Amino acid sequence: MEQIIANGLYLGAQYALIALGLTLIFSLMNVLNFAHGQMYVFGGFVCYTVVAQLGMPFILGLVASALVLGVMGALIERFLFRPVIRRSKRDESTMLLAAGIAFFLDAVILLLFGEKQRGVPKIVNGVFNWDFRLIMPYDRILIGVLAIALIAGFILFMQYSKAGRAMRALAQDRMAAQLMGVDVDRYSMIGFAMGAMLAGLVGALLVTITGVNLGMGGPTSVKAFLMIMIGGASVISGAIAGGFILGMMESVGLSVLSSYGDVTYLVIFATLMVFLAIRPQGLMGKPWG
Amino acid sequence: MLGFENVELYYDHVYALKGVSLDLHEGETVALIGANGAGKSSILRAITGLRPIRSGRITYLGDRLDGSSPAEIVRKGIVMVPEGRRVFPLMSVRDNLLMGAFTRSDKAGIAQTLDAVLERFPRLRERIGQQASTLSGGEQQMMVIGRALMARPRLLLLDEPSLGIAPKLVQDIARAIVAISRDEGVSVLLVEQNSRMALSISNRAYALSTGQVVLSGNSRALLDDPRVKAAYLGGEV
Repeated sequence: MEQIIANGLYLGAQYALIALGLTLIFSLMNVLNFAHGQMYVFGGFVCYTVVAQLGMPFILGLVASALVLGVMGALIERFLFRPVIRRSKRDESTMLLAAGIAFFLDAVILLLFGEKQRGVPKIVNGVFNWDFRLIMPYDRILIGVLAIALIAGFILFMQYSKAGRAMRALAQDRMAAQLMGVDVDRYSMIGFAMGAMLAGLVGALLVTITGVNLGMGGPTSVKAFLMIMIGGASVISGAIAGGFILGMMESVGLSVLSSYGDVTYLVIFATLMVFLAIRPQGLMGKPWG
Repeated sequence: MLGFENVELYYDHVYALKGVSLDLHEGETVALIGANGAGKSSILRAITGLRPIRSGRITYLGDRLDGSSPAEIVRKGIVMVPEGRRVFPLMSVRDNLLMGAFTRSDKAGIAQTLDAVLERFPRLRERIGQQASTLSGGEQQMMVIGRALMARPRLLLLDEPSLGIAPKLVQDIARAIVAISRDEGVSVLLVEQNSRMALSISNRAYALSTGQVVLSGNSRALLDDPRVKAAYLGGEV
């Protein structure tokens, strides 16, 4: 039991971070970022390059992933989404663009980093063992704690900084925010950069535990969409709830359902379909929290 | 202070303003009256940069204003209270008010203005930590006027402040507008369908119909003008 909860929390924290980035981009720009999973994988490979290939400390890998993905997100917003949003009146255009970017990033990752699964050497050794009721390697605990700290930092930033307040205002009422002097272009760019940065950070965190490979991008995007559908799109609390719920469900599924074969995601999808039929706006579904 | 010279504004192929000229002097309260769709709100959208104008000029303090972005226009001291209030529903009253000071960075000055706004609208002080969506319509209207004041505007644009407000609160809002223009020396451009209220608290007024100015003059004189009575005051005695 303790083991299942601990695994769920560890997984949920990573998932919540991914969902936060996705929901931030969606609420600010009304863009469904299908390339979110690829950004996550890219972040993982950047961390791998810095830590495993250049032999630098893990913290530098983490910072490098955040920076590279932040810049990538800003450029993607500035030169791809902004002109498309300006010229197009249909939401499908940005969805197609996002899907195109996903394929493009897959190709770039293949070119730069190859098709192999990559990981980094253990950043902390040893295993925490509480009477064999709860066993968890120290590196997992560290990564889980880092993820939770990042979530807390993100919430504090959105709640108390001027930029965070501006982004919440933009998400709640775009026109009113403009009338307060919020520069929509500037904050769309900042928001996209932050969303991409969060995806990259999760990639960098998880490359130390499970490693990354080229094929993980698409499924990660799908999982991220699941989370914000569970929690409710464009709500901070919804993304966090969705992340932890999915993490918990996976953790329970992998330990309880594994004897019936690989049915965890079958059960999760079936449950989600029933849930969405009852509550289509998700748990916290409202404009933005 | 603010001038329109032959301004035309279109939504796609339909005109909303057809050669509008008007002006507003420093310290004045000017009302724009007219029926729904007459072009009143389009004038405000043109000033704030939310809608580009097709031709003509808008000037502010001697400089050309049209072509600037909404954010630049706020920085120049023109702040609008939009129609329908447009509060940030899930933010606290405090955060809503602080958003009004978004273009300012003088922390001490912002705290001072916040205090002055809460002094003016004591109800907001009572509800400072509450989510804006839980406020009544009247309180929300007070809050968005306070939000605009947080920017320390030189020109305040008010779009239908009495719309959807309980009749007895309309008077409170009218009083607040008069007090603000008197105390803060703010110039006010007031768009209202409640023409009687608008004319009674403004110095001058323009009446609009189908995108054109059809009447203008001293508000007091317009209140007694038979044409205004017939068209805008709904035959009330």
